[in-house]
Amino acid sequence: MKVLMVDKEKCTGCHQCELWCGTEIASNSRELAKAINEEPHPVPRVYVEGKPFALQCRHCEEAPCLDACPNGTMRRDPETGLVYVNEPTCIACWMCVMVCPFGIINPSSSMKVAIKCDRCRNMGYPICAEVCPTGALSLVERKDYRQRKF
Amino acid sequence: MEFIQKKTADNAAEQFLPKAADKGIKLAWDRFEGQLPECGFCESGLSCRDCLQGPCISHPFRDANKMGVCGKDKDTLAVQTLLKLVLKGTMASLDQVSDFVEGITSGEMKPKNVAEAKKAIASIEALLANGAPALKKAFPKALIAAWEEAGICPQGVAKDLFKASQKVEGGIASAEETLFWAFKAALLGAFAQKLQGGLKKAAFGVAPAEVEVNMGVLNGKGATILLYGRFSPVLKAKIAAAAAKKKVTVAGVCTDPVLAPYTFAPVTSYGSQELPLMTGAVDLIVTGDQFVNPSVAAIAAEYKVAVVATETLKGEKLDAFAKSIVDRAEEAFKFRRSVVRDIPEAKETALMGFSAADLDVKKIADAVTKGKIKGIAILAGTNNVKFTQDLPFVTLAQEFLKDGILCISEGDASVSLAKYGLLNPKQREKHSNKAVADLLKAAGKNLPAVIDLGYSENGGVMEFLLALEAASKKALRQLPILACFAEANRSAEVAEAMTLVAMGVSTYFWPCLPVTGSPKTMELLSKLCNEKFGAKLIVHTDKKMEPLAKAKMILNVFNRVPDPSATDHPWTDWKK
Repeated sequence: MKVLMVDKEKCTGCHQCELWCGTEIASNSRELAKAINEEPHPVPRVYVEGKPFALQCRHCEEAPCLDACPNGTMRRDPETGLVYVNEPTCIACWMCVMVCPFGIINPSSSMKVAIKCDRCRNMGYPICAEVCPTGALSLVERKDYRQRKF
Repeated sequence: MEFIQKKTADNAAEQFLPKAADKGIKLAWDRFEGQLPECGFCESGLSCRDCLQGPCISHPFRDANKMGVCGKDKDTLAVQTLLKLVLKGTMASLDQVSDFVEGITSGEMKPKNVAEAKKAIASIEALLANGAPALKKAFPKALIAAWEEAGICPQGVAKDLFKASQKVEGGIASAEETLFWAFKAALLGAFAQKLQGGLKKAAFGVAPAEVEVNMGVLNGKGATILLYGRFSPVLKAKIAAAAAKKKVTVAGVCTDPVLAPYTFAPVTSYGSQELPLMTGAVDLIVTGDQFVNPSVAAIAAEYKVAVVATETLKGEKLDAFAKSIVDRAEEAFKFRRSVVRDIPEAKETALMGFSAADLDVKKIADAVTKGKIKGIAILAGTNNVKFTQDLPFVTLAQEFLKDGILCISEGDASVSLAKYGLLNPKQREKHSNKAVADLLKAAGKNLPAVIDLGYSENGGVMEFLLALEAASKKALRQLPILACFAEANRSAEVAEAMTLVAMGVSTYFWPCLPVTGSPKTMELLSKLCNEKFGAKLIVHTDKKMEPLAKAKMILNVFNRVPDPSATDHPWTDWKK
């Protein structure tokens, strides 16, 4: 399974991943100039807060959000291993928000669904890694990532 | 986030792209791709580096950093980004005019008409000191009244530029007020250009001249000097005079090609300015600051081309400087005999440097007011790597001319168009429809399909617009005139676009200005400008629009086709 690796030495905290995630994934228009003006504003799935380090869902193997979800809205894709929200069934109870150890699941009050990174599972390549100007974000095999084979 | 597949429409330029890749030479297009994706905050005008507490951004999707440390919100950031561009553009105009004045007052050159030159210099000094109130007489009263109501009539460099520049330092100026400061700064630059045009006329005289355009003008047989960018016309004339004595060829890139009695054949347009060096037929380049890519120095070194910068900290007497440049070019030519010449055959004739006085403006005004032609399009700007070089200009001009719209162009846009024969009087009928061709035949001597009004530093377009307004007895806002900056690039062009809007000419501007992060600023540029000046600055956010689609969109406006989907169409009075 491939996950996003964040190189904290390379991350400058420029927020480009947030900006383009918000535009390409979270907005209706998928065009920066228009996305900026959308109300409610698009919610990016990646966070750069406080320190220069881009944080997004780690797709934990023992994912607490999967256990906490009362009605099976939070699911794991059996093929890719990616954890995602099945939006039509979300009841906005925010249990997943509460249990996520990284705090990367965002309650979207306007849409009444939990919002989290699905590592762009329906796209060829995650947008945050694609736009990262320093190459701080990259897609690597989790087993390599564990053994630090990079 | 845009990757351009076809880099240039100019075949002469295109043939150098694989050669550069083979040699490992990086050109502007390669560097652009290296920059992708460009910073989205900067692109939208939502970033700020004005103080050392930052850099700050206004994050469109996060509440925690909607404002900079000092409290600038997205509207302030975007409108100030525009103001900064305009300030820089106006400085460019003022720098040029001050160089020119210095050249004349140094006594190293005797102006053709001494009395007129003295008058022009006095006006320029007045403009710097108090905004040259006398200059206002050249403008229609209604226009001046609109400017005065908005508070944007220039009052001198100290009052306008220094104050305007402080709007980015702090204070609680609203977006509207900041925008008006930008207009004020832009007008100051435009006035300087108008006066520089007057000084050029007095010092050298003006007349259209036939020049050859594109890289085929290089011959490689004798020493060749290329003048890069804008610098003092006095120095240019001195170099040309010294070169003529020794039969050294002098051509130009991004520099005014017409300077009586000399001409400087435009070797290429802005986007491909690095390529003439790769022909091997250039021995020495003289570089100004404006419009010159720093990359030319490295490519010049690669091809053993000598480089002379005009502006150094130590001033030199112009005659001696010009002579030393020509001597160095000759030496370089001898030294460079082993360098392989690779000169494309592309060459086109163009008639450039018209002024309002060379045209029968009354006939043009009649044709517009009586509906013989559908309108007038002003094509301006340089090249931008975000678009296929020259393609937007050429597509717009061709489509406009076919549909009965008179095209005028200026500066580097003219060079781009000239490369494709649009400025060649012999090809007039080929490019334009009957109505335009008839008008061109009647309105001047030997007019080409697109009329070049000289480089922007001479204010030719403003001169023409004022003449048109006087001849038609109608305000510019009531005439079907649109300006298109099809591939804009430099801050001077932003200032110029603002001036055109202030004069009542709606202006399309590509690529989109860094104001898209602020819906309020976008609205001010269309709604407020329309209220105050009867014209809009139209910033299109669609990056993928093809040149042909742009041409069709603008033609819809000329043809009075309502387009409800486009909220920013210039619904000026003449549309009714």
